[in-house]
Amino acid sequence: MKVAKSDIPPIPDIEIFLVSSVHDMKNSVAILISRLEKTLISADKDNFPEYDGFVQMNHEAKRINDKLMQLLTLYKMGQKVYPFDPQYVSIDEFFQTIASQNMDLLASQGIKLEIQTDPKLSGYFDEVLIYGVIANALNNASRHTLSHIYLSAKKNNGVLELCVEDNGKGFPEAILQESVDAIRNVDFQSGNTGLGLYFSALVARLHRKHGCSGEIKLENGGHLGGGCFTLSLP
Amino acid sequence: MIGIPPTASSSDLDLSGKSFLIIDDFYEIRNVFSDILRKCGVRGRNIHVVANGNEAISSLKKKQYDVVLCDLNLGAGKNGQQVLEEAKLHSLVGPNCIWIMTTADKTAEAVTGAAQYQPDSYLIKPINETILHMRLEKIWAKKNAFAEIHEAMGKKDYQKAIKLCDKRLDFDIVNNAELQRTKCDLLLRCGELDRASEQLDEILAERDYSWAMTGKARILMSNGDFSAAKVLLEDTLKENPSFLEAHDLLVETFQSLGDLAGAYNALERAVALSPNSVVRQKNLGEIALKLGNLEKADKAFRKSVSLGENSVLKNADAYIGLAKTCTSNSNHEEALIVLGELNKNFNDKDIHLKAIAVEGTIQHQCGNTERAKLIAREFSELIKKDEIGLDSERSLEVARLLMATGDQESAISILKQEIKNNPESNTFLIDATEILCDAGMGDEGINLIETAGKEAMELMNGGVLLASKEKYEEAIDAMRNARDALPTNIRVLLNLAYVLVIYIQKKGPKQEYIVEAQETLSIVNTLSPGEPRYVKIKNILKGLTEKKTDGDTK
Repeated sequence: MKVAKSDIPPIPDIEIFLVSSVHDMKNSVAILISRLEKTLISADKDNFPEYDGFVQMNHEAKRINDKLMQLLTLYKMGQKVYPFDPQYVSIDEFFQTIASQNMDLLASQGIKLEIQTDPKLSGYFDEVLIYGVIANALNNASRHTLSHIYLSAKKNNGVLELCVEDNGKGFPEAILQESVDAIRNVDFQSGNTGLGLYFSALVARLHRKHGCSGEIKLENGGHLGGGCFTLSLP
Repeated sequence: MIGIPPTASSSDLDLSGKSFLIIDDFYEIRNVFSDILRKCGVRGRNIHVVANGNEAISSLKKKQYDVVLCDLNLGAGKNGQQVLEEAKLHSLVGPNCIWIMTTADKTAEAVTGAAQYQPDSYLIKPINETILHMRLEKIWAKKNAFAEIHEAMGKKDYQKAIKLCDKRLDFDIVNNAELQRTKCDLLLRCGELDRASEQLDEILAERDYSWAMTGKARILMSNGDFSAAKVLLEDTLKENPSFLEAHDLLVETFQSLGDLAGAYNALERAVALSPNSVVRQKNLGEIALKLGNLEKADKAFRKSVSLGENSVLKNADAYIGLAKTCTSNSNHEEALIVLGELNKNFNDKDIHLKAIAVEGTIQHQCGNTERAKLIAREFSELIKKDEIGLDSERSLEVARLLMATGDQESAISILKQEIKNNPESNTFLIDATEILCDAGMGDEGINLIETAGKEAMELMNGGVLLASKEKYEEAIDAMRNARDALPTNIRVLLNLAYVLVIYIQKKGPKQEYIVEAQETLSIVNTLSPGEPRYVKIKNILKGLTEKKTDGDTK
């Protein structure tokens, strides 16, 4: 009796599966986040022993959401179908959006998020992309800060500068070096994919005005003496 | 509509009396959104949820909602964009209804719909109350700011809309960018190219906005400078590869330059950005068919037809294209089935006429010469009795059929007539030449086209020449004759209006000429909105008639 060969047929287009799965996962994560937040907001902190655990879960779910968003965006940019859509954005409103998604969470971790901006300040950028960059920076800061994060915006010679600073130990030397050329420093072999940094540098570069591109900068020091991430947009 | 100044704080927005419709295929998401709305102060009984497009349409038929939150990707059946299109086309939602499209991530499709079918906003999930609240406030404020402008635009009173934009630009900082863009669009729509160009240059000095660069390209195209337009559009796309409007114009530019392969490549990129557009898929199929790429044509036409099944924007030409592709693949049986589907799906006399012409050609190709001849004979009789209205597309199909069935004479006369109606359309000339060449009339055909073009030019310009010799009455007669011969030729109509206006200018107002000029101009605006000369002549006429009424009152 002949035994049928169990050859795996060639997989038609793995890229399509990957992209549609990422899209699907984003839907699930969106539900997860909304449910967790509902639980957290309605919970009585003192009589809910799992509270901190839920906060942590929510934090991780948001990280997954942000990473999936970055992956999808990079994929679409590679295919030249990312709908880059810069608009005039009120920085005050933009920061309110960011605060609404992060303030409670940070507070529950004992971290103070301080926001500083001029209410009349506006910027010209793709809101979804820049939200991704700032959310990524806030996430990093929340993992390394001691107790305080400072989010600020100002215009410097027509260039909009968005800063995320913290009072932790600051960036290690290796990352400061790497950030000088985040786009070239992706190293899949060593496992240092630096997705967040790569994404941020690419997004900055997409924002151009009369031949000048945006950029990111990592430093130590700043207002709070810790890490200081700056995104400049022309 | 509630009035909120742009700076209102979030506590000012009272949502308790507002009605909401949530459309999402995920049960959990519907629950999450309902929770968020309740937290925003919306009463539970004012929140309605549905799971798919058909349920959404029946809810929208029963009730006018203040806000619709619609998922773009609704699984099987209609997608969110198709629900929106149907709701707008059938007036199930009024201008005050806020439509927010929700998506899992930012897709190109989300920002590529036709302007009249755009939602008010997109929100990327997950969202929370602050985000929803802020977004609603912003949209209501914007609707208020643009209410008068949009009303004027709805009445096609573009000059008034432009004035309203100017008025608002003086003080409205929040909407400055949007107002500038609307104003430039309006100037282009009225054919005020010089003013538009000036505005766009000012805007471009500040920043290389994709929409402004595309606006400049539009002006170059209107002036017939397609090579320069092409360069500018390619530059725009280098900066912003996903700017769909620039892709669409680039396709048009390539077509006008007679570069079909270029048009195909540009359109393929536009389709990659908006794979669910019924019209773009249809256009892609048509160019592929012309290039002889039957495989791509077949795929694109089928996609267009299947997208159209769930859409109020379904396109008859996609069926025609698919039928032709089937025939080219020697699949005549399916071609005829497709035409049958077309007749079932569309209830329109002109579409049926075109389908019959195409059927005739297919019958001829599959050997049913008797049936083909019968259809052809019916057409030539209709034409002889002048009982048939043929636009460019239909003329081509009928000419193709008549040519195939051996009635060269009628075929040529149809093509000549349409060339005279439309002597400046490159795409039509290319198609007409092809039909003549296919019939083995290469040189003779080119000759015919050139002669028809020349005759049209003489008819178009004869009256103007007479007017410049101060023979005003003869000028009007000449242009009237030209209009009777070429009733849809834009330049003939404009020149008729022009000689009438000149007469009034030189010899004083004459009521019947004023009416005739106005009627002629309004035909021009229906046939080809935004002609630059239309605006100029209309303004002169307006000046003359106002002067006349002044005189009467004194």
